[in-house]
Amino acid sequence: MISIKHLSKTFKNPDGSVITVLKDVNCEIRKGEVISIIGPSGTGKSTLLRAINMLEPPTSGEIWVDGENIMAKGYRLDKMRKRMGMVFQSFNLFEHMTVLENITYAPVQLLKLSEDNAREEAMELLRKVGLAQKADVYPDSLSGGQKQRVAIARALAMHPEVILFDEPTSALDPTMVGEVLSVMRQLAKDGMTMLIVTHEMRFARDVSTRIFFMNEGIIYEDGTPEQVFGHPVHSATKAFVNRIQKLVYEIDGKDFDYLQIRTGLNQFFLKYNLSGKAENAYSIIKEMLFEHLGSIRPLTFRITYTELTGDTALDFMMEGLSESPVKDPTALDGIRSKAQAIVEEPTGRGFRIKVLI
Amino acid sequence: MKRTLYFLTGLAFIAFLQSCSGGKKTLDLKSEEDLHGLTIATSAGNYYDDKYSSYQDITLFRVNFDADGIQAVRHGIADVFVSDEVAITPEAREKLNMRLAFRGEENFDVAFAIRKGNDALREDLNSFISTFKADGTLDAVISHWTSGTPEPEMPAPGTVTRHDEPVRCVTAVNLEPTCFLGEGGEWMGMDADILKRFAIWSGRPFQMQFLELGSAIIALNTGQCDIVSACLYVTEERKKSVDFTVPYYQCHPGYFVYNGEESSNIGLGERLKMNLVKEGRWRLIVSGLLETLKITLFAILFGTLLGAGICAMLRSRRKWVQKTANLYGAFIQGIPTLVLLLIMFYVILANAGLDGSVVAIITFALCFAWSSGNIFNSSISSVPKGQTEAGLSLGFTPLRTFTGIVFPQALKKGLPLFAGECVALLKSTSIVGYIAIQDLTRASDLIRSRTFDALIPLLVVTVLYFVLAWLIRVVLNLFLKKK
Repeated sequence: MISIKHLSKTFKNPDGSVITVLKDVNCEIRKGEVISIIGPSGTGKSTLLRAINMLEPPTSGEIWVDGENIMAKGYRLDKMRKRMGMVFQSFNLFEHMTVLENITYAPVQLLKLSEDNAREEAMELLRKVGLAQKADVYPDSLSGGQKQRVAIARALAMHPEVILFDEPTSALDPTMVGEVLSVMRQLAKDGMTMLIVTHEMRFARDVSTRIFFMNEGIIYEDGTPEQVFGHPVHSATKAFVNRIQKLVYEIDGKDFDYLQIRTGLNQFFLKYNLSGKAENAYSIIKEMLFEHLGSIRPLTFRITYTELTGDTALDFMMEGLSESPVKDPTALDGIRSKAQAIVEEPTGRGFRIKVLI
Repeated sequence: MKRTLYFLTGLAFIAFLQSCSGGKKTLDLKSEEDLHGLTIATSAGNYYDDKYSSYQDITLFRVNFDADGIQAVRHGIADVFVSDEVAITPEAREKLNMRLAFRGEENFDVAFAIRKGNDALREDLNSFISTFKADGTLDAVISHWTSGTPEPEMPAPGTVTRHDEPVRCVTAVNLEPTCFLGEGGEWMGMDADILKRFAIWSGRPFQMQFLELGSAIIALNTGQCDIVSACLYVTEERKKSVDFTVPYYQCHPGYFVYNGEESSNIGLGERLKMNLVKEGRWRLIVSGLLETLKITLFAILFGTLLGAGICAMLRSRRKWVQKTANLYGAFIQGIPTLVLLLIMFYVILANAGLDGSVVAIITFALCFAWSSGNIFNSSISSVPKGQTEAGLSLGFTPLRTFTGIVFPQALKKGLPLFAGECVALLKSTSIVGYIAIQDLTRASDLIRSRTFDALIPLLVVTVLYFVLAWLIRVVLNLFLKKK
């Protein structure tokens, strides 16, 4: 359906230096595939996506869509774009139109649909994304998640053969990521061909049929989620997909600033969409720091989150100890009931209590 | 609504100030000796301006028209008004509650000014004036206007047309009895009468316009007119810049003062009647209004079209095109509109044979092009780039993306600014009087200098400008509502 050959894209800086964003990209996208493009930032993921529908014309190479070279001179890009939807990071809803008008405008103008038919179809799409009751409001009164769902409906209204998603959840408040991802999940299930640039690893793993790992301007690794996430070939891929997010606090006095820790944790949970685990985590941390380990100082507290697996762990590390400071075996029962597991183990330099939540 | 309220409050305040002023001390002047320490009102650029500017202890209050000088004395801004002895007729003195304090010693020859080197016209005028003098008609004309003797009959228009080009006269005086806009908007008075007769004598159509003295001399020297009549004294100084005909009249300076408190105030109704109804003066207002409207609307129309071009240039990807547009902007912005107008009229388009209104429209369109072009550019820039990308990605062509998605949003943002710029343009057209166009402002000047009443004509044009500005906003807002 789409095949890309030796695609490259360079930008010229004002000072004359040249930046190569895409070096040599080759790939084949077939109908019905759901492809997630992952990789560190600045490696050309978005540029590749924007090059495919020529919003960012490539410097060299070839892009073939349905057997036509869309980079050929005189090629009618507007015709091609009607069949290729796009969803942007910043939504880009038409601010001067209502939600309904946003969706009906292009079908009426370009597909010559009657106003009535277009409206009916648009309402159907709005119901699908759960926003039928917002049909007559203007975009500025919607939340980010709602805007993005409308933007998806707008793209769907043109009955595209493929939809490109350019970091659709990156500009969203963490609480709203879920609603957009679930709409996209449904689309994938319905068999839509999708190309998604995303940082949501678990989502990518769960819905994609293929993963492109991009690095240094090329597709570094291309395979099924199972291959790329489970058995990555390159070390760069391995490092990226097993990325661990963490937050560390050194607690050295009795009167440490618990509120500061609490605020930091709150942001951490929001950022990685872990709000569901927050309450449990707070009560565990409080109990550990103030009761069981109240007299142990210095103490290092660390929270880690493995993006791909979703594992979250609270580590309490005590330097210089060789055995657990909690002597009573039943003392941690309260915590055990809230956690998935507790591991107590000596490390090279001291003793660690690890609580998995 | 609020805007109207503020405006009316402002008007009421002006009227209040007007009613407070007037009625100052009376002066007892006998000779030029008594002028020391006083403020003298006189028209800028005339003989007296020159004469008294070298006196350390005399303050000069220079005005554009004699009528303003008279008002300045009546309101106590100046103590003495000096002009020709005949500048204020005896009846007018009574009406204005002013008197001739004394008459100057000097005796001046009064003649018409013509462009230096225009010898053919000078010969023509000179031979006309001598014939005219010899058969007694000249004296009869002068005595008719100064002493009220019956007017000698106007000769029938000559059957011989020497050439079609009109005798283009400019007067810098709009005052009885020298030269004034009388009944039905026709130029009357001594000078007008003589020049009309000259036109008939030479078999050419007659044309007269009103300009400040300074502009009149420029117009003469740049060939925009042929004869300047302004009760001009023949002085050595002036002979350097213009040629004079033989004198047709002799006059003494007159020093006028205000008598003090007015005994009776004329009622508002009477004043309105005097300023608007008498001699059909409302027609001046109407034609001025139409002139102002014509210049404003055409300048907006062409200026907007040019502005679209400027906007396209500013948005061009080619650096030199952008730079050209910015250079144009720096040029237009750096020159006061009035100066630009004068340059266009007297220099650049002087020989294009264009009507003053056309020159004004071109000038204002050029200015408006820059301001509107900038508004278009910034309005379009204020629409986020994502809107364009969204339009393109749905399959619209770049043109349809612009017209259907970007432009409506830019319009919403830019229209209030655009309306403001239109109103600013409307107001700036009030300077076209400087190139002898009788617009709304100039209509009020003409009426004011005839009736010696500043308030009513200014009030009327103020209200009319306000209404025009309001109409512009209303009409433009219709575009916003219509989606």
